[in-house]
Amino acid sequence: MDWNCTRTEERLSDFLEGALPAAEAAAFSAHAVGCAECSKLVAQVRGLMLRMEQTPQLEVPAPLERRILDATLGRRPPTAETKGWFGWLQIIWQPRFAMGIVTVAASFVIVFHAAAGENGRSALNPMNLLRGANRQVHLTYARGAKMVNNLRVVYEIESRLSAQPESLSEPVAPPTRPSTDGQPGQQPPANDPHEKSQTIPHLRHRTTPELAEMDLQPDFANGSFDPAPRSTL
Amino acid sequence: MEPDAQLVLLCLRGDGPSWEELVRRHTRRVYNLCYRFTGNAASAEDLSQEVFLRIFRTLGSYQSVHGAFPTWLTSVTRNLLVDHYRRSRRDRVTDSMEDTMPQLEEKHSPMRAPDKLAEAAELSEQLQRGLARLSPELREAVILRDLQGLDYGEIRGVLQVPEGTVKSRINRGRIELARVLDEMGVRPA
Repeated sequence: MDWNCTRTEERLSDFLEGALPAAEAAAFSAHAVGCAECSKLVAQVRGLMLRMEQTPQLEVPAPLERRILDATLGRRPPTAETKGWFGWLQIIWQPRFAMGIVTVAASFVIVFHAAAGENGRSALNPMNLLRGANRQVHLTYARGAKMVNNLRVVYEIESRLSAQPESLSEPVAPPTRPSTDGQPGQQPPANDPHEKSQTIPHLRHRTTPELAEMDLQPDFANGSFDPAPRSTL
Repeated sequence: MEPDAQLVLLCLRGDGPSWEELVRRHTRRVYNLCYRFTGNAASAEDLSQEVFLRIFRTLGSYQSVHGAFPTWLTSVTRNLLVDHYRRSRRDRVTDSMEDTMPQLEEKHSPMRAPDKLAEAAELSEQLQRGLARLSPELREAVILRDLQGLDYGEIRGVLQVPEGTVKSRINRGRIELARVLDEMGVRPA
């Protein structure tokens, strides 16, 4: 069979795909073996077909399917596959996580504020902490002692009142003030309550500032009773 | 009935999941064809979306007795690619695709060795550069046959030309591409 380079080119794909009849294939091969140009071309195309056969399919960009579906079916809520990098943000919007985050943030703010302090004085400074604790202990002790003293005063008054009920059943006149008008001859009346109060002399002659200093309740410091000063208890 | 034809029927009844399945099954084919033809990832994505939009609107015109769904899909894709090429050439934007060839964004199986990955990526890039230098007629014929794996009958259905023309274009396209690659210094496998 007469064969030439033009015919080799025309039937090249058929030859490489095994679609040539046996007689044509033999003529093709015989020509190609003897023709450098055709031999080279056959090798090139065979190599090209092999390369293309081995070439992998390209991967589809991830958002393309979603784009197509959105364009055709309309935009829908994202699925787990399409949440992507921002899917984790949805967790934050749950109330329990949001509350937790707010609490932690508030704690940090308080701690940092305390650490920074005001006017350079830090509440977290060990010396300031020690001073504060010392002050608090003393205040607590002083308040406790004051409460005990008040209770003792109340109990003592009650006990004395119960010991002399007849002397206190009568109305008690206001205490007689010392004479200030220079009348030395004036004597107190015979039934002056001052005499009755001789049994409890320290309940007399107490002034309002003194009572106030003893930190008594107003009912007890209303002039009728004058408990003993704190130092005498 | 073929699975694709069943899905099409379900889609025509308004079944959304069937349409999603149809898109999922064929997006890769459409995207690859668009990318190999245009050589541009962004254009390939836009064209792929356009293809499925057109398919969605004209799904009722598909009849399985006239051919397989992939062939019809490829035909629609090819027609859009031709329109795109003509628009691009008119606008003188992509006449020289070689100058604006992007990096390929291939992903391969993690089981493949790194040198194999690099070799495959290089091979794909060389091939893309060679394809860009072919005429659109020869390029589409080679892509459909050697990269998309369609047989001559399917290509004839897509291109709407006689089978002899299909064979001739594929053969000429292979020879021209081989020579182009040889000029680029790419050795045969």
